[in-house]
Amino acid sequence: MSAATEHDHAALPRKLRLPMQIVGGWEGGILLFMVALYAVGAYINPGFFGTTDAFSAVLRDTARFGVMAVGMSFVIINKELDLSVGSTLGLVATVFGVLYDSYHFDLGVGWSIFGATIAGLLIGLINGVLVTRLNVPAFIATLTMLFIGRGMVLGLTGGQTISFGQKAVQDHWFFGLGETNALGFNSQIPIFLLVAAIGIVALAKTRAGYQTYAVGGNAQAAQYAGIATRWVRIRAYLLAALTATLAGLMNVAQDKGLTSQIGQGAELIVIAAVIVGGASIAGGRGRMLGACLGAALIVLIDKVLREGVPITHTIDVDGVKMQVQSYAQLPGGAVQAFLGVILLAAVLIEPWAIRGGGAARIWARLRGRQAPPPPDLGEAAIVGAQMRGSAADARAVAARGLRAFLARRDAAAIILTVLLWLAGMALRPDFWGSLDNSFTLLLAFTEIALVSVGLTFVLATGDVDLSVGSVLAFSGATAAFLMKETALAPVPAIVLAMLGGTLCGMVNGLLTVRFRLPAFVSTLGMFYIARGLASWLVAGRQLSGFSDGFNVIGRNMYEVLDALGMAPHSGLLRAIAEAVSAQTLFMALVALIAGIVLAKTVIGQRVYAVGGNERAARYAGINTGAVRFWALTFSAVCASAAGVIYVAYLRSFNPSAGLGRELDGISSVIIGGGSVFGGYGTVLGALAGAAVITLIRALLSLQVLLPDGTSFVMPQHWMNVLIGLILIGAVVGDIWLRQERILSRLFKRRKGSTS
Amino acid sequence: MTTPILEMRRIDKHFGAVHALRGVDLHLMRGEILGLVGDNSAGKSTLMKVLTGAYQRDGGEVLVDGKPTHFRSPQDSRDLGMEMIYQDFALCGNMDVGQNIFLGRWPRHFGIFVDRPKMYSEAQAVLQRLKVDVNSVFQKVESLSGGRQQSVAIARAISFNPRVVIFDEPTANLSVMATERLLETMSELKKLGVAQVIISHRLTDIFAVGDRVMVLKRGQAVGDRYIHATSEREVLELIVSGTAETNLTAEQALQQAA
Repeated sequence: MSAATEHDHAALPRKLRLPMQIVGGWEGGILLFMVALYAVGAYINPGFFGTTDAFSAVLRDTARFGVMAVGMSFVIINKELDLSVGSTLGLVATVFGVLYDSYHFDLGVGWSIFGATIAGLLIGLINGVLVTRLNVPAFIATLTMLFIGRGMVLGLTGGQTISFGQKAVQDHWFFGLGETNALGFNSQIPIFLLVAAIGIVALAKTRAGYQTYAVGGNAQAAQYAGIATRWVRIRAYLLAALTATLAGLMNVAQDKGLTSQIGQGAELIVIAAVIVGGASIAGGRGRMLGACLGAALIVLIDKVLREGVPITHTIDVDGVKMQVQSYAQLPGGAVQAFLGVILLAAVLIEPWAIRGGGAARIWARLRGRQAPPPPDLGEAAIVGAQMRGSAADARAVAARGLRAFLARRDAAAIILTVLLWLAGMALRPDFWGSLDNSFTLLLAFTEIALVSVGLTFVLATGDVDLSVGSVLAFSGATAAFLMKETALAPVPAIVLAMLGGTLCGMVNGLLTVRFRLPAFVSTLGMFYIARGLASWLVAGRQLSGFSDGFNVIGRNMYEVLDALGMAPHSGLLRAIAEAVSAQTLFMALVALIAGIVLAKTVIGQRVYAVGGNERAARYAGINTGAVRFWALTFSAVCASAAGVIYVAYLRSFNPSAGLGRELDGISSVIIGGGSVFGGYGTVLGALAGAAVITLIRALLSLQVLLPDGTSFVMPQHWMNVLIGLILIGAVVGDIWLRQERILSRLFKRRKGSTS
Repeated sequence: MTTPILEMRRIDKHFGAVHALRGVDLHLMRGEILGLVGDNSAGKSTLMKVLTGAYQRDGGEVLVDGKPTHFRSPQDSRDLGMEMIYQDFALCGNMDVGQNIFLGRWPRHFGIFVDRPKMYSEAQAVLQRLKVDVNSVFQKVESLSGGRQQSVAIARAISFNPRVVIFDEPTANLSVMATERLLETMSELKKLGVAQVIISHRLTDIFAVGDRVMVLKRGQAVGDRYIHATSEREVLELIVSGTAETNLTAEQALQQAA
């Protein structure tokens, strides 16, 4: 206690009036908006929102998301993000279900809660360690955990519903927590109020809360001040996981069972709630009360969108007019798309409208006045030169022959491709090398490779595109919808689908470059919006059976040539034509052009310069905004082409199209020598990386013949878990092997100690 | 001769193949203001970071009050009364002046709750003691000008009641007015017996308040002079063409001149 305490407090001007910490104008605004929104809901749908049931239903659903928002606030104020909370909720509920259900382990409720809590905390710990110890960017680490968690839910449930309503009767003390209590409201509400109260006090009044603000505001300063910044960040991930665990338990207590979709998309609602509640993705800002009110607001919006409007329409049955009551509802995907838009809007409000003076400028322009100039956001003039990976490149310059090859950043991917293919040959010599299998492999490769080529540019500029899988789905759905529902000819349908996907990429670029959102935030918004739009388009429709002219895109060359009457009939030519499809040729063409542009032209040099040091590139006269914008757009173009091809190949559209493709794509680029920090990556490497991913997926689903004559296939539900692990492995390997060169440093240290 | 409050002997530091510091000696008396000058990459900041424990030295020793020490982190040196004010001030812009002054060691009651009345009144007291014109301890630091942000950083350092304060390029980002105010502050600290080290490119500032100036060149000490017995011209010559031969202690230089 070396602080200057000796000064008499009497000398101070009167009693200090301390600033408000718990509540501010923002919270008042949310409350007003919520009242207005509820009134609108009650006006358009009095049958639902006019009742007290609706009020308690909104509060009950708010309870779970609000509890999670409390944990997420700590993460976001720390200037980080946790995309895995929805999966954590799902996994916790699944672990509980599997342990408790009498058809599985049939344990007591106490043990089941214990096991579920351990699972939840483990996810938080892994997130925290990946981000703080292994320096994996938060959005990559937690996005991967999202997919791993989802994969584990699928693997554990086998895609089945688990239900334990019978057994739950014995353990009413726990399952009663999810029900309406004697006082007439759901018991989850007091749980939420308790958690919220603890969270509000912890963030605003305690040392832990102050540490959170300090780390989010200036992590370096916090560290100089002796705050254990790493622990503060790990603690936030643990809190996020712990609150998701609580929410998961509340969920099973309420439903007394679970489906394999439990918790899907919850992270979107929770993150949107915290940001709407006034927190900034730039860190250091936000209040807990705001986050809780934000959760209520988002749930209310969700309800208003979902509940629909009661309508009466008249139908004619055998000449008799009948009035039928029904609800006009938005399809499920639409709600998700709206929530994505709300997330992006909320992210933009603080930096652009309030601090950036955007609202004032628009208002001035509306009144025909001179708009005030945008404020100079300011930045330091000098940043440290980025020297990572330079030693590896120095070795590559000097090396010749095999050494030169091994020093390449994409060497590992090329070697792995060969090894994995040989492994397949060894496991199933009768099948692996066949034409059929080669055709399937090439098809699967085409989709991943196409997405990876686009992502190569984005990752090389130092951005990331999380929306490629969703854009793929959106463009595929658009093409299918236009051809089936509007009977459009294939060519204009393809053009419109590509334009739609490209537009998604341009929105990504605009948000990232013009509005200065981090690319992972703008593309995360698009991740939900594009997928939501895709499921909106296909909702309740059977989109299949297109014209042959369209399907040709997905056929192999033999069939294409046959249709043109030019089919080769013999030998090697025919074998090649049967293994190669039109889409593979298209992909090869795109990859060739993209490869030449990236490696040989000025454009490619600009891309690497922007990724290496954005500010240096800007000072050197490169229009860095344009480079980043077009990279994001190109990535979306590639993804939409993949979407059109997907539909042509399957001859129908499935809403799960492209699910998790962003993981495959990012893994491919990084395995092939790219870096999540930008400045590296080649098209050839990305293709090799895509080949690695394709082969791993194929090997994992290969039916292996065992010596005793039986065969074995890995349960496919676990696939996403393994792909997620591979991405984490690739990113960690890139950071620690290629950039920090941990191996050569260890080697040097040992040499140093022996000499 | 009295014991120096701080002494560094034959400090060595390597970064890979670069020999950043070669046997540098430094001593600092109570209430003394030492200017540390030299070209870029002369090793000024490295020497100070070795001193505070931000870097670990490869050779040599650091003595505080004549006792050998080994700092593993800046926190260790802070415990012995040494404070460094970083060039970018190391403040959290999203927090207010009071919270920043007590960054990381907010006064508490019941172990976990921050004692806000105590925090703000003590922050107010420190600011008054420094005669800093920050309007309110409740102002967010990001809304302050560069000079005032530095005042907060200094107030933060002072509130630890330090015995040694190290300023890293304190005047680099300041206006003329703010620089003058800073130099006044330094004189007042000197009256309180606080020893200070200023790393600076601006000899004028060092000649305005300093007692002694030490010149580093390529990781070596090349000269140590009393301000009253030297000129800016001589110091500039040392910076440009100093060698191990010119590396007299301030006392030796004084005798030679006499």
